[in-house]
Amino acid sequence: MTIPNGLVPHGDDLNLDELKRAAESILLVSGGPVTVDQLVEALGVAPQTVHALLWELQQDYAGRGIQIQVVAGGFHLCTRPELASYVQRFLRLDHREPLSQAALETLAIVAYRQPITRAEIEAVRGVRSDHIIERLLERHLIRDVGRKQALGRPILYATTEGFLRYFGLKDLGDLPVLEGTDPRGALGGMTPTPHASPAEGSEAV
Amino acid sequence: MPYIVKIPQFEGPLDELLTLAQQGSVDLREIPLARIAEAYLAGTEHHVDLEEATEVLWMLAAMIEMKSRLLVPKPDIPAEPLPLEEPSDLEARLEEKLQEYRAFKEVASALRALEDYQHRIFARPPGDDPNAVFLEGVTLDDLFRAFQQVLERAREEVGEITAEEVKVAERMEAILTLLAQHPQGVVFADLFAAAATKLQVIVTFLALLELIKNRRVRAQQPQTFAPIRVALAAP
Repeated sequence: MTIPNGLVPHGDDLNLDELKRAAESILLVSGGPVTVDQLVEALGVAPQTVHALLWELQQDYAGRGIQIQVVAGGFHLCTRPELASYVQRFLRLDHREPLSQAALETLAIVAYRQPITRAEIEAVRGVRSDHIIERLLERHLIRDVGRKQALGRPILYATTEGFLRYFGLKDLGDLPVLEGTDPRGALGGMTPTPHASPAEGSEAV
Repeated sequence: MPYIVKIPQFEGPLDELLTLAQQGSVDLREIPLARIAEAYLAGTEHHVDLEEATEVLWMLAAMIEMKSRLLVPKPDIPAEPLPLEEPSDLEARLEEKLQEYRAFKEVASALRALEDYQHRIFARPPGDDPNAVFLEGVTLDDLFRAFQQVLERAREEVGEITAEEVKVAERMEAILTLLAQHPQGVVFADLFAAAATKLQVIVTFLALLELIKNRRVRAQQPQTFAPIRVALAAP
């Protein structure tokens, strides 16, 4: 496997194999996901080259114990799911506690309809959800992104980067597609819709 | 956990019954909703899961609404369409709500699959790795060199030797108290009061080593020969 022509900066005499191994070592020492920008800076190559290097690295990992996951806008070196039992035994970890069904549904509604108020979540679920929202906030899966310009100025919630990592998603566009009605219409490509834009002074989504 | 319905006409999760009724695969006129509600409420006498109860009651209410619509005879002649518009509008809205709810239930199961996958893969924990070496960049030599410097500064006691009671446990408490007041940490030398006796310095040093070993405190040295900083370990 070679880097396709045209992706290598012209005139640079780069040792692509070394760069690939350098990228690998950076992924190893970094705890969390490494962004393209970070790799561009560390390796001193163009973003396209970074993508090509990582793609090739990922191919190298076929049949190995580790893989590269593209998550929350970065590349993350991690183990493969089929080896979970060994890793868990080594780390002396129990099975990780999954989210409750109610929490998962609430999270799905926030993910597709963000930014969204508690009342809007409850209108979909048909049940009170304040306790669940509280738990999701505690686990940093959702966050407060401002207030809706409506009666009572209710708090608007959106998902976090931790949410993307929790589900191994690259970005919100990576969410599973819904059948039937497309709730992503309201999502508007991760930017707040004008009628629901967070108040000034609050963080943008 | 979905509530399981057990009646002669249907056995299975309540949300499945709702879905089937909504699709028209189950005739709600045949389903004794009151009996389901009674059975559920009887079961809640000893233990109530509020989350589940609200969901069950909401689903039952939705089905009662649908059933009542089925039971009301439809007028043969559309006599006056005006007053009938509101209920049909309500039905459409109910239908829409149910469909929306089902769509989110579906996507929730897709997210569940992703969660399951992510729960089976592991990466190095970012930042505060509980297994990280707590003496970041600090070698044993560095620590001893610092210790020697402090010892040199320690006041040499001449003359009468008085019995001193300095306990490691006490010094450990004192270090923790000091560090709690300085969330950014303190320089190694600050741990030793300027007028400390040799014994106090030794005991304080032992207390520090003990705290590092117990992972309550971390020592960091940005580069070789830089002052060692000591701070509380993240809980």
